Amino acid sequence: MTALELAGATKRYGRRTALDDLDLAVPSGTAVGLLGPNGAGKTTVLRLLLGFARPSRGAARLRGRDPLDPRAREGVGYLPERLALPSTMRLRPFLRLHGGLAGLSGRALEREVDAALERTGIRERGAEPVGRLSRGLAQRVGFAQALLGEPRVLLLDEPTTGLDPIGVRDAREWITAARARGATLLVSSHVLSEVERTCDQVVILHEGRLAASGTLDSLVHPGESLEDVFVRVVSP
Amino acid sequence: MTGRVFRLLAADALRDALRRRLAFVVVAVALLGVATAESCTSFGRSSWTWNGQTLDPELMAGWIAPFLYGFEALAFVMLAGLLAADQLARPLRDGSAGLWLARPVGRGTYACARLAGALGVAFLAGGLLLGATAALLVGRHDLALGPAVLGAIAGALSATTVGALATLASLVVGRVAVVALVGMFVPMVALANALAAAGAELGGFLGLLDRFAPPLGRALLAAVAAWNPRVPAEALDPTAYVGVLALWTLASVAALVLAFRRLELPR
Repeated sequence: MTALELAGATKRYGRRTALDDLDLAVPSGTAVGLLGPNGAGKTTVLRLLLGFARPSRGAARLRGRDPLDPRAREGVGYLPERLALPSTMRLRPFLRLHGGLAGLSGRALEREVDAALERTGIRERGAEPVGRLSRGLAQRVGFAQALLGEPRVLLLDEPTTGLDPIGVRDAREWITAARARGATLLVSSHVLSEVERTCDQVVILHEGRLAASGTLDSLVHPGESLEDVFVRVVSP
Repeated sequence: MTGRVFRLLAADALRDALRRRLAFVVVAVALLGVATAESCTSFGRSSWTWNGQTLDPELMAGWIAPFLYGFEALAFVMLAGLLAADQLARPLRDGSAGLWLARPVGRGTYACARLAGALGVAFLAGGLLLGATAALLVGRHDLALGPAVLGAIAGALSATTVGALATLASLVVGRVAVVALVGMFVPMVALANALAAAGAELGGFLGLLDRFAPPLGRALLAAVAAWNPRVPAEALDPTAYVGVLALWTLASVAALVLAFRRLELPR
């Protein structure tokens, strides 16, 4: 089954074309790295898939449904690039609310919140307002909410932003664990080494168009790195 | 699932609205209103004289009660509009709405929950204000409770309508503009309705407001005018105006939901 799909998706913001006739299909259980220089349209892809924006032409499908249909977003975890957390809400109630919206309740909810706090190393911060946490801790909170309820689909936009080296290593473990349990992953990132380590397929966008896509093995030739491929594909 | 999601989000929106500084202003306005009601209803049998003659206290109460209750109900409506002015626009602006809308949350559910949060605070203040005023009027001057109940229903419908319209406007224009719109719209509609109800021939903008805007003032006036013994009962038809207001409430909430469904979240 195709978990994420864009069919001939074009997105224009005024005169600027952010995405141009993009076809993308991510089968369930696949981990795809979405690469591209700044302004290539990576975040727009995620926005279309989540229903935050509508394609100017073409279609977006999330788990086989119109992304505006709330059922499409059941079992979906999302970590945005620019994480905006409520300024006064405390961490535990914040996660409890996210868990509730993800369909958890009662003891299962409390268990999941505890597990998320433990997993992301922010257990002792449970009583602090999430809006006052440092950038790195806030990113851990972002991961904690995205991973609540073991989502079947994970959309991560620049997931290692603001994390220190230990945080980056932890994030890699969380992503790998999600992949190991069969979740579908779409990871938009500038950090090519992280994509190389966590994803099995790569999509490279350039100026809103598909510049290259395939498995890492098919794209990276012997003696090359993903960085070499990236530079070759997006350089004029 | 939708009902549970709405409850969760509405409770959060209410907590969010209560944490804002504006909530203190709302409480202050409510307390000031109660103090005004206490002062305005404290006159006794020999309190009012005109050219040496004591005025009929029943008639005085019949004039003062509709004005007092009407003004306080309009204050409640204004507060609802002011509180709703950025209750939905703020999480859109700061980006936090995206986190909630990435969950299995319908756009309509989210918009209505945010509106409910703002209205929750307004209804707490309005309930205190109108409840205390009605208790003073009924307790001190033996006025009937019915007009107060109908007036409160008209106020609640007006507050919901204005709140929904203010939230809708906030998707298009900034908070200051919405506050200014609410600050002008509610008093002008009330004025137009009151003048028309008094028999004035209205033309121009006021005439348009009286004919085409939600009948906030007419519904309130029709409800509380029953306190005035000089107003013939057959001249009043509050239920008809309350019915029209209920339609306006449904239409304004539906317009908000439709507009929010079409809206693209800011980047």
